[in-house]
Amino acid sequence: MSSKMTSFFQTPSLVYGSAIALRVILLFYGAWQDAHSAVKYTDIDYLVFTDAARYVSQGVSPYARDTYRYTPLLAWLLLPTTWSGPSFLFAFGKALFALSDVLAGWLIARSLVSAYGMDAPRALKYASVWLLNPMVANISTRGSSEGLLGVLVIALLWAVLRRRVILAGIILGISVHFKIYPFIYGVSIIWWLDREHDGSSTKTTPKPTTSTILSFITPPRIILTLTSLTTFLLLNLLMYSLYDTPFLQHTYLHHLTRIDHRHNFSPYSTLLYLSAAGEVQGNFESLAFIPQLLLSVIVIPLILAKKSLPGAMLAQTFAFVTFNKVCTSQYFLWYLIFLPFYLPTSSMRRNPRFGGIVAALWVVGQALWLQQGYNLEFLGLSSFVPGLFLASIGFFAVNVWILGVIVEDVSSS
Amino acid sequence: MKTRITYLQPRSSPFSAEQAILEKEALRIRELEAAKEVRVTVGGDETGDELVRDVLNSAREIHIRWANAGAGTGLKVDPFGSRVSAGLHVGYTPRDGLEGSEEKGEGICRLLRQLFDKIIQCENYTESFTSQSSTYQFYTALPEHTLNEYITNICRGDGPCATAGWDRADSIDLDYDVVSGTLIVSGYWSQPDNADGWTEEIRAPSNNRDRVEVGLLGTEKAVEAEEIKMGGLLGVVGVDEALKPTLFSFPSRHHVLPPQATFSVSFPQPTGMHPTMTISLSPAALEYPAAPEDTTCALHAYLTLPSYIFGDKYQLSTTDPLFLDSHHLVALRAVSGATDLEAPDWFVSHWGSNWLLELATPTDLPEEWNVTVPLHLRYLRPSETGYRTAGVPWPVVFWACTAEGGTKMGVNPFDRIHLGWDGLFGPRTMFYQVNPDGATARRVEDLDVPVLHLDKDGIFHSKAVELGTVAAIILGLLWVLWKLGVVARSGSPRPTKEKKSQ
Repeated sequence: MSSKMTSFFQTPSLVYGSAIALRVILLFYGAWQDAHSAVKYTDIDYLVFTDAARYVSQGVSPYARDTYRYTPLLAWLLLPTTWSGPSFLFAFGKALFALSDVLAGWLIARSLVSAYGMDAPRALKYASVWLLNPMVANISTRGSSEGLLGVLVIALLWAVLRRRVILAGIILGISVHFKIYPFIYGVSIIWWLDREHDGSSTKTTPKPTTSTILSFITPPRIILTLTSLTTFLLLNLLMYSLYDTPFLQHTYLHHLTRIDHRHNFSPYSTLLYLSAAGEVQGNFESLAFIPQLLLSVIVIPLILAKKSLPGAMLAQTFAFVTFNKVCTSQYFLWYLIFLPFYLPTSSMRRNPRFGGIVAALWVVGQALWLQQGYNLEFLGLSSFVPGLFLASIGFFAVNVWILGVIVEDVSSS
Repeated sequence: MKTRITYLQPRSSPFSAEQAILEKEALRIRELEAAKEVRVTVGGDETGDELVRDVLNSAREIHIRWANAGAGTGLKVDPFGSRVSAGLHVGYTPRDGLEGSEEKGEGICRLLRQLFDKIIQCENYTESFTSQSSTYQFYTALPEHTLNEYITNICRGDGPCATAGWDRADSIDLDYDVVSGTLIVSGYWSQPDNADGWTEEIRAPSNNRDRVEVGLLGTEKAVEAEEIKMGGLLGVVGVDEALKPTLFSFPSRHHVLPPQATFSVSFPQPTGMHPTMTISLSPAALEYPAAPEDTTCALHAYLTLPSYIFGDKYQLSTTDPLFLDSHHLVALRAVSGATDLEAPDWFVSHWGSNWLLELATPTDLPEEWNVTVPLHLRYLRPSETGYRTAGVPWPVVFWACTAEGGTKMGVNPFDRIHLGWDGLFGPRTMFYQVNPDGATARRVEDLDVPVLHLDKDGIFHSKAVELGTVAAIILGLLWVLWKLGVVARSGSPRPTKEKKSQ
């Protein structure tokens, strides 16, 4: 690394300044493109959020907006976008999401220093994988709420690593209320939170006399479980009391009963189309949660959590997304946020050529799929079978292979 | 039963007395160049079998409009200028108190299947129809109808009603309302069925309860802009001894624009999953209509979209001038029906959706002016070719002129309402119809929708896709489990080893 690069990472204000500048530039660019072109920079989802916020400001349910499938918290957070005043208020949500990105990056750097004993410049260098990632900045400034989830997940990890169990429980409860999938982290955190990790004991070996089950039930584990469940339940009760069944339907039940199967990266996509149209007898897709949850909720936490909590969370998320029935590119952000914790000890960094191959395969896997998707969406070619089918299975194979590499790397970290 | 037959001669075509000879028992028409309307009015008890009577009894109003998709037909002429998109449109208002009663809900669908086509996909009005205030609406593309049988049946015999040639009509209307208790069946033929003109014998009714009125009319220039002036001959067959000359004028809701005011519809290729409807307007169509001075006019398009194609109401209701200008749109004025953005077609129970768009007009007239409407396709069922055809009827394009005060439209003997789009405007609005371009054979655009290709005999048949997916998932799962297993077995002694080395 050149000395210039080293000095860059030695000055936190430069790194955070660049991260903020990148986002500010994109926000202004987005506003300019929106004002001058019929093709908008702003994501459609952002219009859904802000429409929902407008309904809330009028005293109506946010679910009055079709396809609003989020917690009312999000619409409430974006209430400033509905205030009358200067037009930049409309970008309030985007700024909030972008700020969440930067905050998440800051927490990543802090955690790398405090929990991994990394020196600050090195921590900043790895945090920059997130902070200065143009894809991350782009997604947030277009108005996708994934950045908000990113900061919640990293705050959760940070709180756990700092042994702030109550705070961690509250954040976990909020995260699950926000987007369901972070419940998988609950398992690995509870498993990780043994006497060695919970800060209650400096002893490295548990007393052999206590029964395993009893020794598993420790105060921090109980506290984490109770605070997260309480937070989750209280939030849901509050939202249910305010918005009734539409809240349950759109935030949670929709994901169980969804009938839209627009092509996506998931290997199940083609099968779901066939089965929705009644063309297959089997009912395999209804069992899809088994491999997904077996990996991300049971086996990965049990085997990896105690070796490296962030590593296990990365592997869990990767498995959850890879084996999910629906998979779009914004789901990739869910695991990208853990890269700064994984890369320092990964075989991909030790062997940059190998790392390059992994990255290339991941990109090529997506590109092949996108090519087929383009043929379908814009050229009107029937590319479902074999094109999209093979491309999604191919991308799945690449992801499964990468997951194997991650598992090996995390266990040897 | 009352039958009213109106021949409408263009101003240019000649007329001589031998072309319409009224005798005691019949009126003989010979080689008459004209458009024709036949309107049959029957009482509620003459409307046919039990099913029809039951459905009519459960309704407050039923308005059925069918229009031919073929463009081989001629122009619409005043006062018959109004149009609907090609296909079958149904407006249904259930009687108070009967709303939601399940059995009656299915009745209207059974009636449609009996009258028009057995394969019409319609369950009941609550699920298959869309609602616009208290009225339920239904549409299906129906290139050909089987109404002949029903109409001949209610005509009881071989009078002018039965021999009118309903299967060749450009459009047919059926109207029933509980107040009048009558069913009105009207047909419109823009051109004679023979190159030499209409040659037919209109016979007097065989009983004195029935009545057959005939008019041979032409339009003349009216004094007031909102009026249509008609002159010609009128007579009641079997009653009158001679045709009587007449001249009358009335304010008309619908007016036609000159023949050169046309529009055509196309979808630029490739249409993909997000086709763009392009409405091309001729310069004459963009000229402000000759409406009364106290009115304000705006150009509109009314789209009838079957469920497999839809607009994004959030995208189209935007007020963003950049988006609207780039499509030459002013605003989305009304939308009703199935606007779900995600569901595949076979999960949508409603027939589809209607869209009223106000169109932009240029300040100076260009050669051609294109209005574009971005639309989206739903997933359709898999097929063995990998494609399915989705027909999209041409919209109705018209200028709507609203008057501040103005005349009521009550006294027009040829008035036509309940067209789906007219009800979206105030009662005093006047409409100037832009003519669909006659050069195109059909007023329906067929889109090729890519669907999942059922490779029945090939490698990628459904079973193979199913097994392939299952195999990929299981292999993937086993691979990751194996890696985890290796880690777990070699992993347990490792921490102690590492600790020793630290």
